[in-house]
Amino acid sequence: MHAMASYETGTRRFSRAEYERLIDLGVFQPGEAIELIGGELMVAEPQGAAHYTAIQKTAKALEAAFGPGWHVRTQGPIGLDDDSEPEPDVAVVPGGPDEYSRAHPSRPALTVEVAESSLGADRLRKGSLYARAGLPDYWVLNLVDRVLEVYREPAPDAAAPFGWRYARREVFEATARVTPLAAPGASIPVSHLLP
Amino acid sequence: MKQAERPGLRRWSRREYERLIDHGFLDEDDPIELLDGLLLVKEPQHSPHRTAVLLVAKAVERAFGEGWFVQTQSPIILDDRSEPEPDVCVVRGSPRDYVATHPTRPALIVEVAQSGLHLARGRKAAAYARARIADYWIVNLVDRVLEVHREPARPGPARRHWGYAAIDTLGADATITPLAAPSAAIRVAELLP
Repeated sequence: MHAMASYETGTRRFSRAEYERLIDLGVFQPGEAIELIGGELMVAEPQGAAHYTAIQKTAKALEAAFGPGWHVRTQGPIGLDDDSEPEPDVAVVPGGPDEYSRAHPSRPALTVEVAESSLGADRLRKGSLYARAGLPDYWVLNLVDRVLEVYREPAPDAAAPFGWRYARREVFEATARVTPLAAPGASIPVSHLLP
Repeated sequence: MKQAERPGLRRWSRREYERLIDHGFLDEDDPIELLDGLLLVKEPQHSPHRTAVLLVAKAVERAFGEGWFVQTQSPIILDDRSEPEPDVCVVRGSPRDYVATHPTRPALIVEVAQSGLHLARGRKAAAYARARIADYWIVNLVDRVLEVHREPARPGPARRHWGYAAIDTLGADATITPLAAPSAAIRVAELLP
């Protein structure tokens, strides 16, 4: 058994294929906010006004920064790996919506989680999961401290929940500006993301 | 508990659990039980575990006698999101009384635990206490003792606070009398593999 499986007492894990079949069969309640994270079905916490506002602002800012040829998704599923289908708050993927009518995108150029109560999990578990999948640019919009945490350079780390973590972490204050890896000409004021 | 309660894990209702079985996600041979909405993986059935289950079943069958039956590793219903399969439980009546639905309130539940000891004392004890199971025993294969859990109580407000107020640990030389079979006496040595 690898490290992940020793979690808690051991619950039944689901593959992404099983998860998608459960959705097709209508097993879940309508509107249930669920993510498949490393085989575990996780329930998202209900979002407050600040959380929702931050998602809208971030999506708008990233749309402007990336421009044509990119598609900004909010809380849409990502086919990350065989046992993960997270729904990050904002994800920027190449192309347009029609390209993903048959299968979810799997490798966003930029992935953003807006974190309030979920800050610890977004940093540690989601960060490790996204690093394992090789997502190059992961942002945690930290509403608690009103900063943007930027994670880059996935690297193996046996101590991390999924065996990987981001080697680089930079923290940007509200007054700073940030440039996405995949949109090198853009410069986004962090204040445009914060609620 | 090392990992906090993990409130984020999605909980399954019994009805959903049954749909998982209907759709073939789980089958009856899967070592899974639904406890408090979680699909828990059961302890592997190594030989000492299996032997202890058989010894316990035999001993409690004799102790309870007529008017009761003993089921092993079969489902019971505790609440809307718990359908565990305890190693041994003693149920009033006869098997035919439960053709339409699983038993809900065994007079005695026994779990045999080695690697699952933490689970048996923690999450399982909480679920059984919450269902007001009056007599819950753990055959602890690690220390070769019997842990007798009685007096379900909730000292705090949360569901997870449920537990047993009276816990006795009995060595192989001791004898135990089930609450619902007051004239019986079982030697703990009879239960140990």
